[in-house]
Parts: sequence; C-alpha cells; structure tokens
Amino acid sequence: MTDLCAKIHLAQGGFTLDVEIAAPAGGITVLFGPSGAGKSSLLAALAGLKRPDAGRISLGTRVLDDRDTHLPPHRRGIGLVFQDARLFPHLSVRGNIAYGHRRAPPRTRPALEDVAAFFDIAGQLDRPVANLSGGEKSRVALARAVASAPDFLLLDEPFAALDGARRRAFVRVLLDMHKRFALPMLVVTHDMDDAAALGSHLIGLKDGRVAASGDFAATAATPAFRAVLDRHDHGSAVAAAQLWPSPQTGGIRNVWLRADHVLLAAEAPRAISARNVMAGTVAGIEAEEDGSLMVTLATDAGPILSRITQAALRELELVYGKTAWALVKAHAV
Amino acid sequence: MITGAEWEILSTSFAVATRAILWSLPFAVAVAWALSRPRLPGKLLFDGLAHLPLILPPVLVGFLLLLLLGRGGVFGGWLDALGIRLAFTRGGAALATAVMAFPLFVRSVRLAFEATDRRLFEAAALLRAGPWDRFVSIALPLAGPGILAGTVTAFAAALGEFGAVITFAANIPGQTQTLPLAIYAVLQQPGGEAEAMRLAVLSILLALAGLALAGLLQRWAARRHAG
Repeated sequence: MTDLCAKIHLAQGGFTLDVEIAAPAGGITVLFGPSGAGKSSLLAALAGLKRPDAGRISLGTRVLDDRDTHLPPHRRGIGLVFQDARLFPHLSVRGNIAYGHRRAPPRTRPALEDVAAFFDIAGQLDRPVANLSGGEKSRVALARAVASAPDFLLLDEPFAALDGARRRAFVRVLLDMHKRFALPMLVVTHDMDDAAALGSHLIGLKDGRVAASGDFAATAATPAFRAVLDRHDHGSAVAAAQLWPSPQTGGIRNVWLRADHVLLAAEAPRAISARNVMAGTVAGIEAEEDGSLMVTLATDAGPILSRITQAALRELELVYGKTAWALVKAHAV
Repeated sequence: MITGAEWEILSTSFAVATRAILWSLPFAVAVAWALSRPRLPGKLLFDGLAHLPLILPPVLVGFLLLLLLGRGGVFGGWLDALGIRLAFTRGGAALATAVMAFPLFVRSVRLAFEATDRRLFEAAALLRAGPWDRFVSIALPLAGPGILAGTVTAFAAALGEFGAVITFAANIPGQTQTLPLAIYAVLQQPGGEAEAMRLAVLSILLALAGLALAGLLQRWAARRHAG
C-alpha cells in the first residue's frame, strides 16, 4: 500500500511548519485549515518542491525525504494539481494531457482516451488551452495529473476558481475519479462543505501544527478540530447515506451540518417532513464564549451539533441523557 | 542598381554574420539559461564574463584574439596542427563578430527565458519531467520566439562589427571586408564619399529590416506567453 507518511519540520521566514501526518492509500484525506495554517508549505514539502529542515517523508516503503535523502519532484511519483491549473500554454489540450501520460510508467498508466472520455474533454483535445474556461482548465489539469499515473495525488484547493453548481459538480468528479482510477488522494481545502463531501480522513492544520487528525467524522467532531474552524462553520459530519435521499447529496460522502442550521426539539415533531428529523440523546452541553450553548446530540447517524441560546435550553429542559430531536433544513445541506 | 563589388561586400557581410550567429547560438542559449536560473553559483562572475566584450574596446578584443588564436598566439600552435587558421580569414572575422555580439545575444535570449512562468517548471517536474527534459519540453519552446527575436537582433548587430574584425581578420575584399569595413576602406581613398554614402544607405536599410523583423518576433513571443 502506498500510504503517504510525513514528519516535517520546516522553518521559513517567521513561520514554522511542524507536523506529523499520515494519508492512507485508500480513501481521500482532506487537509483543512485557515489560510496561513501552512497547507501550501506542507504540500510543497510532500511534492519535493521544498526540502524539510528535518523529518522523514515516505510513500509506501519508499523513502522520499530523510536526513540523507531528498528525491527531486520528478522522481517521487507524486502528482500535484495546482490551484491555478498551470497548463502549458504552448501545447493543446491533448499536448498537456499527453505530457503527463508520455512520462508515466506504461504498466500503470491509464489509456489516454479513457482519461479524456472520463473528464469529458474528448471533443476538445485539439483546442489550445489559452481560451478554455476556468472549469475546463481545472478539468484538463486534473486529466493531465491522472494521465501521469502518480502513486499519490495532491490537490491544492482545486475548486478555488469555481463557484456554486460547478463547484458541487467538480466535487463529484473528484469522487468518481478517485474510484475510477484508484488514486490515493490528499485534497487541500478551506471549505467544510467540500471537505465533508470528499473526505474519509481529515487533518486539521492550524499555525503550522496538526490540531487533529484521523477518521473524518470522528475527527471533525473533536473540540481540537473545532478550534481550527471559523465559528460559523462549527458543526458535524453526517454520512450522506444517513440523510434523506436527495439529488443534491447523491454520491457525496458526508454532509456538513452547521450547528447554527440545526434546530432542537424536546418532543418528537409531527407536522414536519419526517426525514429531516433525527432522534438522539443529549451527550454534551458546552457554554461558548458569547454565552450560547453547543449541544451535542448522539444519534444513529453520529453526533450532531446544535447551537442554541440559554433561554432555549431552559425552555427545552435539555439535560445529559435526555432524548431530543435534531431538525435540519434541506437548504442547509 | 547595386554593383558587383557591392554585392560582394553584402555577401561577405551576410556570410560572416550568419556564421558568427549560428556558431554562438548554442553558447548564447546555454549561458542565457544558466544566467536566468535564480540560484546559479558564481552568477556574478559569469554575468561579468559574458558582458566583457561590451565593455572592452573592440580593437582590444581583436588584439586579444590575435594573442590567443593568431599563428604565434597561445593556442596558435594547436590550431595550426589541426589545420585551422583564424587570423586574417573569413572564419576569423566570424569569430571576432561572434565574440562582440555575444553580450547582446545573451541578454536578449535571457530575457526570453526570464519571461517564462517558473511555476510551469514545477508543474512539469510533478509530471515526472527531469531538469533537462523540462528545458527541452517547456523552457525552449516557450522561449523560442524570444530566442529567435534575440538571434535576429544579434544578427543585425553582427552586420555592424568593426574594430575587432579589422584587428583580428584585417580588411580583405571578398574575404573579410564587411559593410562597415568597406565604408572605412572607401573613405580612405580620395573621392570615395559617394560610394561610402551608397554603402551607408545599404547598411541603414539592412539594420532597419533586422529591427522590424525582431520587433515582429517579439510580438509573437509576447502572445505566446500570454497564452
């Protein structure tokens, strides 16, 4: 298995990256953190663009970096999709994809036609890349990386240039691509919706340190990870399969339920769409700085967080172990 | 319109400049590439050496070439053994021209390399392209139009070389007598002004054509990078 493991110490200007991470070969690891957390530095070190001051990076049994070793980027077998597609302007769409394909090991690389067909660009192979749209550029960059058959693929905020529906569509492309080409992936993002939709594993990065890491839903529920998030992003990951079937959630892994979007009821609500309601027991009540309360409800779909006021708590008479119902608005998903 | 003697001068000029530029092209590209790297050890020294002919008096460059490569020069014996004669030959005129045009050549090619987005090299490296591969597959094609523009500019400048050529290769009609050398020669004769004027007009026309071509190529280069 080609798990990507790294212990990195990297000082740069006034900033120090000091992390130990593991991204398993199976599944998609999400590297989440606010800007300035060190996500880009970490990616650069993994890709071999920056050499750590100390530490060790390994891919499966291969050592990429340690005290005596520093494999250059082109010999690591690691692919990187940049935020700004970085297509080669002197080559056509086909030329760009073939660039990666030609240099890939023939035994493991996918057929060029399959890649083009998968990314739906078979009809545009002969176009110059200069006049592609933002979304098309992103897809060509992905196709180029996939065609080069890396042992591990890193993606640096690949949706940064996309918005709304195209962004959600792109998340699904990444999930399908992960399955279709059996590519181990590490995705950097600072958007919790994208993170939850993709991630099977989660690494929370803050100020150059790992705040929390491990299985996605479990890690996302920890107070340590919550400290990485913006207050309005506090919430919990619920497996999409546990929620009401909706075309909006089709195919994605988890849905991020923000605590501010979850209502609590002390009695089973009746005149309400039943699928929006999940019963659980109160497993935690924490006071927040501004006086509001974060209630954790243990449900069959895992822990669900809801932020309520002191007055609401008194009215609902919520205490540990009491049964309550979480209500989620469909548009919150 | 143009007399036989003038044709001979023109063809000598073109032959000398063409040889000079083609010989120095690979060196100019290599040095320009090396100088465009941000972390080149001894960059200042390299840069200085490449620019030396720009600062030295051309006559001195010609004289240094004589000292080094003339028959009695430091390497004269070796060259003689190989059957190569440079001093006072067309080959020598080309060499002196190449040395003089080198700084300008390197400078314009280097600009072409420096205009290339460095991040594309990172992208190429992460698609398994090694350093030499990246140079051939990314750097050269992207800088291609700029290199061509630099080549034309250097060629236009090479047509005008005087001091180093006349010192190292003398002023031999049909052999080493290029346009500027011919202008100098006719000016030495009484009543040669009219002929000098004709040659001067030819010179200016050639220079303008060269600059125009270089300008067109530069525009092409800019479009390429914008892509």
